[in-house]
Amino acid sequence: MAQWVAIGVLALLLLAAVLPGVLAPGDPLAIDPAQAFLSPRWGHPFGTDESGRDIYTRVVHGAAPSLVIGVAATAIGILLALVLGLAAALGGRVVDFGVSRLLEVLFAFPGLLLALLVITVYGPGIVTSTIAVGLATAPGYARIIRSQTRSVASAPYIEAAVVLGRSRGRILVQHILPNAVVPVFVLVTLGVGQAIVWAAALSYLGLGAEPPAAEWGAMLFAGKNYLATAWWMTFFPGLAIVLSAVAATVLGRALQRRGPR
Amino acid sequence: MTHTVGNDGAEAAVRAPTPSLPTPTPELRRSSRSRGWVIVRGVLLRIGGGLFVLWAAATLTFFGLRLIPGDPAQAILGGPGSQASAEALAQVRADYGLDQPIWVQYIAQLGRLATGDLGTSYSLRSPVAEVIGAQIGGTLLLAALALIVAWAIALGLAVWSTRGGRIAAAVGSTLEIVAAAVPHFWLATVLVLVFSTALRWFPAVSTAGPEGLVLPVLTLALPLAGFLGQVMRESVLDALSAPFVLSARARGESENGVRWRHVLRHGSLPGIALSGWAFGFLVSGAVVVETIFARPGLGRTLLNAVQLRDVPLVVGVVLVVALGYVIMTVATDAASRLADPRLRRQGVAL
Amino acid sequence: MTATTAILLAGCAGASPATTESTPVAGGTLTYATGFGEPTCLDPHVGGNMPQALLGTNVLESLFSQDADGAIVPWLATAGTPSADGLSWDITLRDDVTFTDGTPFDAEAVKANVEHMKDPATASSTAILALGKVADVEVVDPTTARFVLSEPDSALLESLAQTWLAMESPAGLTRSQEENCEAPIGTGPFTVESWTKQDNVTLVRNESYNSSPTGAAHEGTAYLDKIVWRFIPDPATRFAALQAGQVDVIDEMQPDNVVTATSSEDLAVLQGALPGASIRLELNSGYAPFDDERVRKAFIASADVNPGIESLFFGTVERSYSVLSTSTPYGASYEDDFAIDVDKANTLLDEAGWTTRDADGYRTKDGQRLTVDFPISTNQSIPAEQSLFEQIQATTKEVGFDVQLHPLDLSSWYASLAAWDFGVTSAIYTKNSADVLRILYDSANIQPAPSGYHPNHSHVDIPELDELLTKAGQTTDADERAAAYADAQKILSDGAYVLPLYDHLQKIGYRTSVQGLSLLPTLQLPYLADAWVQ
Repeated sequence: MAQWVAIGVLALLLLAAVLPGVLAPGDPLAIDPAQAFLSPRWGHPFGTDESGRDIYTRVVHGAAPSLVIGVAATAIGILLALVLGLAAALGGRVVDFGVSRLLEVLFAFPGLLLALLVITVYGPGIVTSTIAVGLATAPGYARIIRSQTRSVASAPYIEAAVVLGRSRGRILVQHILPNAVVPVFVLVTLGVGQAIVWAAALSYLGLGAEPPAAEWGAMLFAGKNYLATAWWMTFFPGLAIVLSAVAATVLGRALQRRGPR
Repeated sequence: MTHTVGNDGAEAAVRAPTPSLPTPTPELRRSSRSRGWVIVRGVLLRIGGGLFVLWAAATLTFFGLRLIPGDPAQAILGGPGSQASAEALAQVRADYGLDQPIWVQYIAQLGRLATGDLGTSYSLRSPVAEVIGAQIGGTLLLAALALIVAWAIALGLAVWSTRGGRIAAAVGSTLEIVAAAVPHFWLATVLVLVFSTALRWFPAVSTAGPEGLVLPVLTLALPLAGFLGQVMRESVLDALSAPFVLSARARGESENGVRWRHVLRHGSLPGIALSGWAFGFLVSGAVVVETIFARPGLGRTLLNAVQLRDVPLVVGVVLVVALGYVIMTVATDAASRLADPRLRRQGVAL
Repeated sequence: MTATTAILLAGCAGASPATTESTPVAGGTLTYATGFGEPTCLDPHVGGNMPQALLGTNVLESLFSQDADGAIVPWLATAGTPSADGLSWDITLRDDVTFTDGTPFDAEAVKANVEHMKDPATASSTAILALGKVADVEVVDPTTARFVLSEPDSALLESLAQTWLAMESPAGLTRSQEENCEAPIGTGPFTVESWTKQDNVTLVRNESYNSSPTGAAHEGTAYLDKIVWRFIPDPATRFAALQAGQVDVIDEMQPDNVVTATSSEDLAVLQGALPGASIRLELNSGYAPFDDERVRKAFIASADVNPGIESLFFGTVERSYSVLSTSTPYGASYEDDFAIDVDKANTLLDEAGWTTRDADGYRTKDGQRLTVDFPISTNQSIPAEQSLFEQIQATTKEVGFDVQLHPLDLSSWYASLAAWDFGVTSAIYTKNSADVLRILYDSANIQPAPSGYHPNHSHVDIPELDELLTKAGQTTDADERAAAYADAQKILSDGAYVLPLYDHLQKIGYRTSVQGLSLLPTLQLPYLADAWVQ
């Protein structure tokens, strides 16, 4: 039941991301100072912001950048993690030792500092905050992939394959990779939601998307100063972030329960 | 902030339901000598690993900060935009050794760090150790309280929702997922608006008394409780259907006894394992919370130091956080061993 | 004598529960929450920024002050007289003032202070610039200090009135910089008791205070026992703390909070225009595309800011057409130069060769888009301002400008200014004299200081303007000075180098339990010696 709701929410998000004009035909950047700070009403279901822009339109058009950030950051994290994790699990003791130490260092590093450094070096913006979130999430994924791969590699059926004299490459491609990497896709759904939240947090510190981009985190950042007088400016983008993160998590957990064991 | 968020929670989530956990068996007695050696070797490995982590963190930070545009000599002379004269800049560069090649500066800094000297902050003009010493207490208190509160909420929710039937389970799981998805900064502003501006129950900014801690601690604890709760509940559910619980019930132990003795212990395992990660989560969260609630602390110090290109101070804070992480990992490792007899037999992992 | 009576009265009033609103009450603690940031050093000679001046005003005092009309009035000095050639000034001093460490205030102290400010080791930026024409200070006698100048300086007394040039105890100055930064010693109504980093500075009453500035509501020691000076960077939290009664006074109020506070019974607002330059956009005329005057004019004719100022600031500020703040003398407004005219903007851009438009509607020339980079300092520009910049981006887009907004931290922002890597930007410059025009628009200030900073962001390089600004800075004839400044501002306006927006407002919110709060006119900083809490 819950997963169907989640799928529905995600489908709506996808529609908003791919064809925002269908859900909200207006221009998300069109200003109208005379219509600033309007509370939700007919014509402006989510109200308007400080420059009179329609928040519903901005939330819909914000789906694409927010989802792209979430997916791209997770993809960067997972790809990096795949390389590190597989190398550690299958590359022998020395490689494993090296990678494990590297991961430990990355873990010990405050994630915010990593993000701050990346962003101050290359300037704020969607691309840099995506990379920053991706880098900061990589060590976590890498550890999971490493342990998953190791447990698969030592499973009885692999031993059986070795005994049967199958080649290493064949075992890797046919047995280890599918069993070790498929659970990672579950992680992707779980991670996308969190990546959106963390990218929003960077935007909140003024380090994310540049104004006036219709991006949820940036909208929260702009709205927080008016929270006491115009709650709708932060409520709806915040709701969008929480909803997508929740939907992604619910779907991820559902997949996980069905996933290969 | 972005500290490996979520996916490590997910790691535990993936690992937790691993099926066919064996019933705990009595620990095999080993000869005391070999066991002693295992422990000593483990401790040595831990210390070596910890030192390596500290060295690498300092090195990464040192070179990372040098990539950032902005001249440290300017930071020392009152920050950017100051009309520092050429003589003053040259003087400062010479005083702080900034005119040396970067690797000489690096070696010099490492040498100082090795002797325990964290150097002098450019922006605050006082020893880094002093600055950190003055700020660390607030952050530790905040983080420790948040961890305890998060644990309490997560455990309470896990136990309640696993025994309350389908509806309780659905409510519990929804609460956890939503809490984990709420951004800190948003939660903080909402809490202030509701509990400070409207209800006037708690102050909006930190105060000397304990009442000023309530909102900051809740802000940090609620999302964390969401993560911990998700993981713990899976584990509790797993344990409830595990053979050792069945046998305990068969032995006639009361339901509460079963829950608290076996299930909770089992359920808290992934929570303990996650506490190392939670430390990073809390430190990153502290940056936001300390800024919003105007609390003195390491998080705010770090944010300011990065913006002012205060290299010694940033390196100092990173080292302290890395040390905290190393200690937390050792502690959670030990705690896991205490809570899970199966682990006691194994050598030192990772 | 008057001072003693006042304290006695106040003491009685404090003991009696039936206090009327107008009777000052001695005693009590006031909590002030600042959003300007925490100084890295409390001595305003070092560096020299707004956070230091705000706090310093309660501890340190200057040789001169200004009245509500901006006229120079005596403070620690009793008078300042220039020589006939304008190359030296004799400043006479009060003989009854002592620093809070017991050191007497005299000409030697003035000399020691000027030397401290000019010493490279002090690393002053604001004071050293203000003292640029001061070659030396001679001690004529204990109550006369002679300022020897390298060239005439009509703004000298105004410069000396600023908190960044305040007088500190010579004995205190001989301490290490670290010590002096922790607790500078002055003659002011309060002294620094302690500084808990990132939390607060605690000030306590100076019991032997006797040097109230002109315009103060009462002479002698302050009413408050203690001021807790807190640092609350988040504007929403700061206002919430004020509403909840956790703090008594806040600064840097957001415009919507000003409206909320004004309509609240418990809260009130005190506003004043900071002197110096108004909040304005500086168009970088040294580099493309704004090296072409037609493009600058097209930008100004299409940047429709009035509706945004109205809605974003809720009527709390007024549109300005002057480069100078309304609280700074000699400001001139040329409103007609800033009329919105989209047709004119389009024609100008066509003439300038930006004739084609790309798929997104931006103008192009030789395949290049009409891009204007706009670095924004998130420290200096308040959120409402940043929203206004977004609106400027939207309205100038209609005629084909591609304005790219880049919010940056202070270090990165200065770095992009130093590299001339911008088309337009907004910078704050607070100075209590029209001489700020010389700092901002004299061609000499295109050349960066060794630190890379150049105040002339507009890259204005006009010999005629330089001459006018030099003349205005040297003459002591008020009419001549006014005429020169008016002509200078007309040149800036004609050349479309600057788009003035509004005054930089000091917005102080306070609980109505706080009485007697005022702004010291010199820099429009809150003056707390007259304040008391009920």
